Amino acid sequence: MTMKITRRAVLHGAALSTLAPNLTWAFDRDGNRKILVFSGNQAVPVLDPHVRYDWSTRMIQQSVYDGLLKYVGNPPKIIPWLAEKWEASADGLTYTFHLVKNAKFHNGDPLDSEAVRYSYERALKMNSGIAWMLKDFLKPDKIVAVDAHTVRFTLEKPFAPFISYVPWWYIVNPKQVLANVSDGDFGRKWLTENAAGSGPFKLRRFDANALIHLDAVPDYWKGWPMGEANRLSGVIYRIVREAAPRRAGLQRREMDVITNMSPDDMSQLAKLPGVRNEDHPGFTTFGIKFNCQSGPTADINLRKAIAYAFDYEALITIHNGGARLMDSPFPPEMESHIAVPDMPRKDLAKAKAFLAKSKVPNGDIELEYVHVQGLEDARRIGLVLLDSLRPLNIRLNIVGQPWTTMVARGGKPDTAPNMTSVYVTPVGIDPDTVAYQYHRESWGLYYGMSHYENPEVWAMIAEARGMTDKAKRNALYGEIQRRIVADQPELFGMLPNRTWAMRDYVKGFEFSPIRFTGEVDLYPMWIEG
Amino acid sequence: MFLYLLRRFALAGLMLFGLVCLTFIIANIAPADPAALAAGPDAGRSQIEQARREYGLDKPLPEQFLRYVTDLAHGEFGRSVASGRSVGRDLARYFPATLELCLVAMTIGLIAGISLGMLSALFKDSWLDHITRIFAVSGIALPPFWFGLLLQLGFAVWLGWLPTSGRIGVSTEPPDPITGLLLVDSLLRGDGALFGQSLSHILLPAIVLSLPCLASILRVNRSEMVEALRADYITAARAHGVAPWRLVTVHALKNAMLPTLAIIGLRWGWMMSSTVLVETVFDWPGTGLYAVSSAIAGDFKPVMGVTLIVGLNFMLVNLVVDLLYGVLDPRLRDA
Repeated sequence: MTMKITRRAVLHGAALSTLAPNLTWAFDRDGNRKILVFSGNQAVPVLDPHVRYDWSTRMIQQSVYDGLLKYVGNPPKIIPWLAEKWEASADGLTYTFHLVKNAKFHNGDPLDSEAVRYSYERALKMNSGIAWMLKDFLKPDKIVAVDAHTVRFTLEKPFAPFISYVPWWYIVNPKQVLANVSDGDFGRKWLTENAAGSGPFKLRRFDANALIHLDAVPDYWKGWPMGEANRLSGVIYRIVREAAPRRAGLQRREMDVITNMSPDDMSQLAKLPGVRNEDHPGFTTFGIKFNCQSGPTADINLRKAIAYAFDYEALITIHNGGARLMDSPFPPEMESHIAVPDMPRKDLAKAKAFLAKSKVPNGDIELEYVHVQGLEDARRIGLVLLDSLRPLNIRLNIVGQPWTTMVARGGKPDTAPNMTSVYVTPVGIDPDTVAYQYHRESWGLYYGMSHYENPEVWAMIAEARGMTDKAKRNALYGEIQRRIVADQPELFGMLPNRTWAMRDYVKGFEFSPIRFTGEVDLYPMWIEG
Repeated sequence: MFLYLLRRFALAGLMLFGLVCLTFIIANIAPADPAALAAGPDAGRSQIEQARREYGLDKPLPEQFLRYVTDLAHGEFGRSVASGRSVGRDLARYFPATLELCLVAMTIGLIAGISLGMLSALFKDSWLDHITRIFAVSGIALPPFWFGLLLQLGFAVWLGWLPTSGRIGVSTEPPDPITGLLLVDSLLRGDGALFGQSLSHILLPAIVLSLPCLASILRVNRSEMVEALRADYITAARAHGVAPWRLVTVHALKNAMLPTLAIIGLRWGWMMSSTVLVETVFDWPGTGLYAVSSAIAGDFKPVMGVTLIVGLNFMLVNLVVDLLYGVLDPRLRDA
């Protein structure tokens, strides 16, 4: 008898436990409003918008700060934000921005032209993070607050990409920053973990390594696109380093949106009920940079031979179809992009012909291929390369190194590996952003590891960035793309898709390829039901 | 006794200095350029050079080392180049989480390890003994990383009983720290809900962390107990009519505890370093996770800081174990 009761109790317990997963909350709530939980693998070490940016950092910065302009949509376009309109002088030297009248910071201070002037000055004087974009063209004393709602920038020389960088220059509240300066640090220490912004969200909790909790600003000056009734209470960005717990979190509805998942994970997630995948052609290029200055790859014929031997289709297969092959050094959505006609594709006969013309006509050499340690896709692409080079009798040594080590090695031609694989995300839509990576000035930076040398192309790149005539400029960039491909400083690979998995009740997601890998614009997002 | 302590402290100090030298050398032979890391990926040469000056990385290595040691003597661990924050402050923030995790894991390891060890010694060569043996061997052999993922899958995804990761629920505001240990703080504040939440979050990582420790305590305790139970003084005590439970828990266990204690000390030290793996899987915001994310970024000051903390912890535990030896074994007090 006793035995029977026990068994029943056990069965009851088991039945209850199977119900347990359904007892978890569909989403976090704060009063009667919902909190969106977004999870990615990357921490947000520094929130200061003038010190650092990467995908996770900028996602939070874009949420708590506003810029004069903003990038939205696909293909990306620049729309007025804090500036309701702007005009440029015919000589391309003067830009005047007219600010909206109702913008205010989270603490209630009005956002005026002085705040804009101070923010740009601060970023330029600190000379870190975003400063590189404008520092050679804009001096702090050439930014003038004409009246409370008008700011004028006078450039040192014409710089066509100027507007394309403005959306990333966020405006901070000078009063709050100046009140928190210590040892003349421009308030840097304070802004690392605090915010002084005007954006749609304000900071509630900041734990750089674990989570960031943002509260929606109820009376945000720009209003809320989903309407007040549907507005979120806030957003939590939760840092989970491993993919498996992120996937589990989405399954358990502990998380509403996750990113940084492998193509295989994404395929499996797509099959789960209540889960939707967002899968969009990306802006990030994957290329294998040749060392053009020293070692066997300094020989253009060998570079060409490798480019024609490589199995490009495998790049698509590795991504389960979620990638596009590069047809130019520029991403397709970028202004002035052309599909370069002679872009190498696998052609073993051509590869062998180029090899025969090279200094190592019989192959019989070993080359080094370096990828970022832990990046599985990059390693697998190395294996494809190894396979592709076998017919040329070239051996490949595949080496995984930490990012910092790889970049340090690639900094000098003598230490740069024969081949280094890198992902590069253009920071703006202006073609100069990509073209300049092939300029002499980019040698030593992570996207300049090929140490590409062609003074004619360099001169064209330098000329194009100052041009104001759009048609002429586009034509010049067409030529630049053709010339770069002809010189083959790298094996032009593919553009992987950007992917997120989210619960199907998440609404308002807007993709824009100009944002970094996992970055989304949290402002228009909300939860239905 | 005083002289003994003094000698031990001097030795510990010397070892610590050796550790400082070693970590400094290792951090500096890595080819990565910390100034480039501080300046950011797109930074130009002038920005990188500015960062180099700012962090004192332009100085010759011996000078940098001298500065590091002087700073350490003042309790300063330097600044992280990735975030610009003080490593000392970061450590103070993350260490309580790691300490709490280790304390819970050690409690599990001690209670389960000693009692199972005792039981398998008492029931030597029975099915119980065989099962605990299998358990112990797999406990040492299982990679914590893999075991952690397995537990997450089982208890968090399939059964849905426990949360997958983190220290408390995402929308729960952590209380102002009293001790920094959430379990203790929530009890001190009388917040039962928070206590329950912290407990549910700490359970899985603590179990994973405790397993190798539990297993080795179990094995050592078992063999020592088997040895002790065979000893003459046990037979004598039994002949004197000492109650069986007292015989086992007081007479035999106390004698078996000496080598077990050594293992416990050693395991505590190792536990601190294996938090690196466990904290990564469970996103436990402690020093292990801090070290891993810094190491991946090539940010070495935090890694050096954590290494020193782990090393210091190893030394302190050894010291405590040595002192406890004296308490357990009167013969060692004069030695």
